[in-house]
Amino acid sequence: MKEKVIVASGLCRQFEIDDVIVEALKNLDLTVKEGEFISIYGPSGAGKTTLLNLIGALDKPTSGKIVVFNHDLGTYDENFLATFRSAYIGFVFQSYNLISTLTAVENIAFVIELAGWPKERIKQRSETLLKLVGLQHRGNHFPAQLSGGERQRVAFARALANDPPLLLADEPTGNLDTETGLEIVSILKKIKEEGKTVIVATHDEKLLKLASRSLFLKDGRLTE
Amino acid sequence: MSEISFPIKDLARRKTQTALTILGLTISTAATVFLVIFGTNLGFEISFLARGGRLTSGFSNIFFQFILIVSILNILTGPIITSFLVHLTMSGRMRDIGVMKASGCLSGSIFAYFITELSMLVFLSSITGIIFGVAAFYVSTIFLNAAGFSISQSLNLGVIMVICIVLIIFSHISGASPIRKAAKAKPTEAMSPIYNFRTTAGLGKKVPSRLGLTFKVAFRNLLRRKSVTSQAIICLTVVLTLTTVTIAGGMIANQTTTSYVERAIGRNVVLVGHPTLTNRYINLLSRFFEEKEMQQINYFDHEFVISESLVSKLDDIQGVIEVDPRLVLENSVREVPGIVLDPIDQTTAVIIGDSRSDEALILGVEPESVVNDWLIFGRKLGKDDQESTMIGDSLAVNMFSDAQNQSIKVFDESLLPYDIVGVCVDPLNNGKVVYMPLETLYKDIGQSGYNLLFLQIDASEKSQVLAQIENEVSGENLNVVELDTILDKHVDFLNNIWSLVMFLPLFSLATAAVSLLSYLMLSISGQQHEFGIMRALGAKPRSIMKIVFSQALIIILVSGAIGISAGLFITFGFLIPDPVISQSTIISVSAWLIMILGLLCASSLYPALKAVKKTVVEAISAV
Repeated sequence: MKEKVIVASGLCRQFEIDDVIVEALKNLDLTVKEGEFISIYGPSGAGKTTLLNLIGALDKPTSGKIVVFNHDLGTYDENFLATFRSAYIGFVFQSYNLISTLTAVENIAFVIELAGWPKERIKQRSETLLKLVGLQHRGNHFPAQLSGGERQRVAFARALANDPPLLLADEPTGNLDTETGLEIVSILKKIKEEGKTVIVATHDEKLLKLASRSLFLKDGRLTE
Repeated sequence: MSEISFPIKDLARRKTQTALTILGLTISTAATVFLVIFGTNLGFEISFLARGGRLTSGFSNIFFQFILIVSILNILTGPIITSFLVHLTMSGRMRDIGVMKASGCLSGSIFAYFITELSMLVFLSSITGIIFGVAAFYVSTIFLNAAGFSISQSLNLGVIMVICIVLIIFSHISGASPIRKAAKAKPTEAMSPIYNFRTTAGLGKKVPSRLGLTFKVAFRNLLRRKSVTSQAIICLTVVLTLTTVTIAGGMIANQTTTSYVERAIGRNVVLVGHPTLTNRYINLLSRFFEEKEMQQINYFDHEFVISESLVSKLDDIQGVIEVDPRLVLENSVREVPGIVLDPIDQTTAVIIGDSRSDEALILGVEPESVVNDWLIFGRKLGKDDQESTMIGDSLAVNMFSDAQNQSIKVFDESLLPYDIVGVCVDPLNNGKVVYMPLETLYKDIGQSGYNLLFLQIDASEKSQVLAQIENEVSGENLNVVELDTILDKHVDFLNNIWSLVMFLPLFSLATAAVSLLSYLMLSISGQQHEFGIMRALGAKPRSIMKIVFSQALIIILVSGAIGISAGLFITFGFLIPDPVISQSTIISVSAWLIMILGLLCASSLYPALKAVKKTVVEAISAV
């Protein structure tokens, strides 16, 4: 029996913008088991990014509970959550979010340097991942010198750097052309085959087909 | 939107940035106003001390030179900091300018909007800066005058107006440049970060990996914003140069001037003479720090003569290292013109000087027995010098054009003039002194004998030696005076003046801290997004704080290295002749400079804390 890696119950997230309360997630329940590939789809503003932020320990719920790898994320301080993210989560953002002052290889190494890996292992791991995403020749280039597709591939390599058990990807093909999008799909396929738990927020049909379970999110509520 | 309502709304929307800019510009203006008024009035106070017959020319020159250099640096610092802050603020508006252009706003309107915003910031800060500067001046002078000084509280409104106009012009020139550039640029260029801060797309330079992740990111972030980074470094460098000159220069100059006095008066020196003459000598020596009315006395009165037998008895006392017998009198002296080679063509001779005259203290000495060790320009009187003199600094400066190339007439106009072999810095009679060989003096006045004795005694057995001296002179109507007491008063007086002068860098330091803070705050708001990404990837708040702190540290260390070196170069190159630097001064100066660098580093903790105050999601969302 596969272990439950994410258990969310009664999850609510509200934002206050100029005295107006916006409810991004409303009383949401979700359970994800180890090795599942889940896609979340829904219209823009449905709360997909907010849900990924809560699962990824980037944000805390207004009410309700979210337990990831047996950690109730709403109860921890920022220092613990940073360590948690470093150990358990790989995050791929829609707009790549590479650190502009670091080269491609340094962006990948950043995560494992933070985790305190020894230098030789960091070098080895970064190069292996660059090869995996087919960018071994662009390692010393800065993000500004890479194309959109190349940046997203570096972002995937970075998300996998510390070999996290959970990968979260927010619209990973959203800003890419069809061909580059296919490259990303093939990377995600490899990750799925490795048995990692993956949650992808997407509109991309190819990614939806790849998922073992697709969830529809609308107005802050989840339906299967 | 009108040219007035847009800037007001824009400034109100960026509350923190606007407040920081106004605060920075206010402190910068206040500091410049304060330093210039305070420096001018302090200069007047010192000039009054010199004119009022106190201090000697040698000492007042050191003070003047010091205040002059510090004032020049102050005047430079104000506009540099002001223009840096304005440039920084306006650089932050470039992206908005790009967006406005992309929306179809005309270049002329954009320029008008932002130049109005700039003018609002500058005028508001100038007014508050002047108010705070003047208030700080009054508070400082009230405080210092209560402590015994007499610094004038008069305000030179003309000077304040000039400072204000200069700062407003500088601010507009430096602030208008990024606005004009952005208004002329294509919308895409103005919106690009490369255009904003002259950001580099590729950073090219490798950072040694052994310096660690934090330092690597910090260093790259600084390189990425090279335009503002270099301006921040220039700004801090100027402030740290000023601070070093004031602190290191002030401390070394204090020690040096103290040493000049100690050398001129001598430590462990005992004065023996008739009470009228010893009192007269003390009064002449005290003229350095207090002016006293003195009656004419006849130095040749037979009561004042000290016998040869007493001199030898005192010389025989164990613990008396040197006996320096002198014949002291007051007389008028006259300058004799000299002939020198024309400094320009070096072939023709030109006459320098005139026939100015003044009253001076004449001291006949045995050159080989003199207990003083003055700072001398030229040389000391030697054993074989006959028709030569050494004169005091005030006499040399006020009565001669080039004393060492001229001569002096001391007594009878019919006598030949004496050569001047050296000029000494001497607080005695405010530097209006002439030292000449006793034998020559005897010959010229037709009398002999001593009227004052100076005894250099062994410090380790001071009380016994003093008791023996008192014993020997008892019954002779002679006074024994320890000169250390009067020397300590001289030293206290100098220390008080220097502590007053060293009050100057406090404001400069405040402006340095504000410039650094402004730079870091702006820099952090530009990096907030990336800090958010780093935190999302697992970087702890402490790591982000370390990056911000490292950035500040790099800027402080680079500026410190250049600024402190420049400050020391100015101090030793121009400020103090023959500086005296003890180990304790080196330690004190180093401790002060390290403390200042430490304070600047500590001031970067606020922006570092501010950098991690936002949640990860808020930080990532920051543009």
